[in-house]
Amino acid sequence: MQPNRMLPNRSRTSVLVFLLPPLLLYGAAVLFPILQSLFLSFFSWNGISDMEFVGLDNYVRMFVADDIFWRAFLNALLYLAICLVLQLGGALLVASLLTSLRRGRELIKTLYLLPAIISTVAIAFLFVRIYSIDPVGLLNQLLHWIGLGSLERPWLSDVNTVLAAVSAPEGWRFTGLYMLIIYAALIAVPKELEEAAVLDGASRWTLFTKIRFPYIRPVWITTTIMATTYGLRGFDIPYLMTNGGPGQSSELLTTYMYKTAFTSTDFGYASTISVFIVVECLVAVGLILFLLKRKAES
Amino acid sequence: MKNLLRAAAAAAVTVLALTACGGGSSTDPSNVSPAGEVKPREISWLLSRPADGAVINIMTKLADDYAKDHPGFKLNLITTPDRPSYIQKLETLAAANKLPELFDTDATPFAQQLAKQGKMVDADKLLKTLDLYDDYRPGALDYQRFDDGSLFMIPFQFELEFIWYNKALLEKAGVAVPKSLDDIPAMCTSLRNAGITPIAIDGQDQWPLERYVAYQPFREAGPDFVQKLKKGEAKFADAAGQKTVNWMAELGKAKCFQEGFSAQGYSDAQNQFTSGQAAMYNIGTWELPSLATDKLNPAVRDDIDFFTLPTTAGSATSANEFVSPSGIGMAVNSKTYDPLVSDFLKFALQKYPAEYAATGALSPTTTVETTVPANATPLYRKALDQAKDLGSKQAMPWDTQLDPTTNGRLQQELVLLVQGNITPGQFTETMDNTVKQNAPKFFK
Repeated sequence: MQPNRMLPNRSRTSVLVFLLPPLLLYGAAVLFPILQSLFLSFFSWNGISDMEFVGLDNYVRMFVADDIFWRAFLNALLYLAICLVLQLGGALLVASLLTSLRRGRELIKTLYLLPAIISTVAIAFLFVRIYSIDPVGLLNQLLHWIGLGSLERPWLSDVNTVLAAVSAPEGWRFTGLYMLIIYAALIAVPKELEEAAVLDGASRWTLFTKIRFPYIRPVWITTTIMATTYGLRGFDIPYLMTNGGPGQSSELLTTYMYKTAFTSTDFGYASTISVFIVVECLVAVGLILFLLKRKAES
Repeated sequence: MKNLLRAAAAAAVTVLALTACGGGSSTDPSNVSPAGEVKPREISWLLSRPADGAVINIMTKLADDYAKDHPGFKLNLITTPDRPSYIQKLETLAAANKLPELFDTDATPFAQQLAKQGKMVDADKLLKTLDLYDDYRPGALDYQRFDDGSLFMIPFQFELEFIWYNKALLEKAGVAVPKSLDDIPAMCTSLRNAGITPIAIDGQDQWPLERYVAYQPFREAGPDFVQKLKKGEAKFADAAGQKTVNWMAELGKAKCFQEGFSAQGYSDAQNQFTSGQAAMYNIGTWELPSLATDKLNPAVRDDIDFFTLPTTAGSATSANEFVSPSGIGMAVNSKTYDPLVSDFLKFALQKYPAEYAATGALSPTTTVETTVPANATPLYRKALDQAKDLGSKQAMPWDTQLDPTTNGRLQQELVLLVQGNITPGQFTETMDNTVKQNAPKFFK
């Protein structure tokens, strides 16, 4: 009971009093809507009709009878994978390179962070132009110049490339943010540890895997959880760029849920999908913690 | 924790119960002349029209005029031109039972449910009581009607949709204006061979491609086809359905639309046509200011013309019958309908047509003559004149007819069909199943 002894009784009460308002706010803004979704997911309701209790029908429909749901789920996983590789992989790479840079770090950090502060709508429009083929956009023009003209295509209309094409802007956008967090962790690695390892003849790779990475692991877990939950909730860029199309090629669970609620006015079923998204996020976080902790223990 | 959960669930039930209760209280929708004194107050119109467009400008002016004699009156216009966002707003407000005095909606199945619940004033009776009913073009009113013929929305526009084309480009490719819808795929092939994009289309907004799927059935089976299709009484597997499915696939195979069309927007498509890259462009008279005035690129200005929807052999509808929408309509909330709203509508609807026609647009009424703008090309008058000789049937845009889920799926599958990602057989099966699953919920 060490911490308790550090706080006299009166200040413990005041801490609780100060913690209560944010807790209530959290309950009202986060927990209540989630519970309401859970409640609504057992009903058939279009917003203006009478609510009809349907039991588990919505869940049965979601798991058994809805081909778009599974398509959107797989798309969302692929979208997540691309975002994670770009965001975490890219961030780690850039942050590592930054630490070995002597000058211009601030400039590069700022440049990498820039996309994170541009509005989503602007980014979506920017990338629609970049991927365009008629008129020729930046990407197709570049391919043409370097002699890969055969790869030129309407990236957002081709069912095979559209998902990667809508994932990339989201990944690119937040690379700088995660880079900043990981960079801060990397420069906190004690220099004497690294120097001792170098004196013992450790290669750069060994230095990274044996010293640096274990040291930043807690930060790495946090960034992974952040990036994963953001990735699973990704909505705006795919919605703005393709609206899930062509067909269902870039439909994510989130865009599908939105359409089910506000286009199909099927609020009950949309709530069912939203419950699935909440569970999916919780499972993902649990999995990450489990895997990374087990690795740390071994 | 358990108690907390229980409390939250109880709270959720209460909120929902409260909103559900609120839904029941509405006044008689057929009572169009409420008794009592006109008490000026602020009223709101939730609408989905261009922010500085003619409708909003005129109604603002008329509201100001009305306020001069009725101090305290104010018309609050809340516009959301982006249609999907607008629909979301409308549905959310409808669910919360917080619709304003006036609100825009198409004759969608959702709107029909609102009408059935008595939440909208009967526009048929309203217009008749105001002695304005006979002023309206029958087609303009018909466009607003639900399947059962009832009328709950008032039109503010009247538009005709044409296929605009570039004479010089057709000549270059050695093709003529199509006599039949069935000529279009071959025409596209010739245009492509001459290095010309046959048709510019706004794929991003999805409704433009959905227009095309409506054309063949309208010619083959008349306006009834979509009425039956949406209820599952007709199928894409039927003759008229198969004709349109195969035709759409052929349009795709002949590369009728620009490459990557599904990600291109409204202005992209228009630019392709007005810059002389694309030979054809299917759009309505709302674009007359940019297609038939000196604002049009001088390089193509003398080459632009239009033709109306071609017929087919043995067509059930005639050449003067095509898509002629009267735009999104305005519904009157029955819950907030009182002597003031009634009096203002009487004032505004009487004065609106003359003001609207003066802007160069076609009025939904026949009482006024449209003023052709000073900078118009001869095509402007030609386009307006088409309204004088219209048949009694009109092709309804399918996006206002089908239930929303089927509509969304159709828009998605159409892109795949035209891009050649799915076969006509797959398309037919998917769509017929979708209608079967979703139609019963909306058309009981």
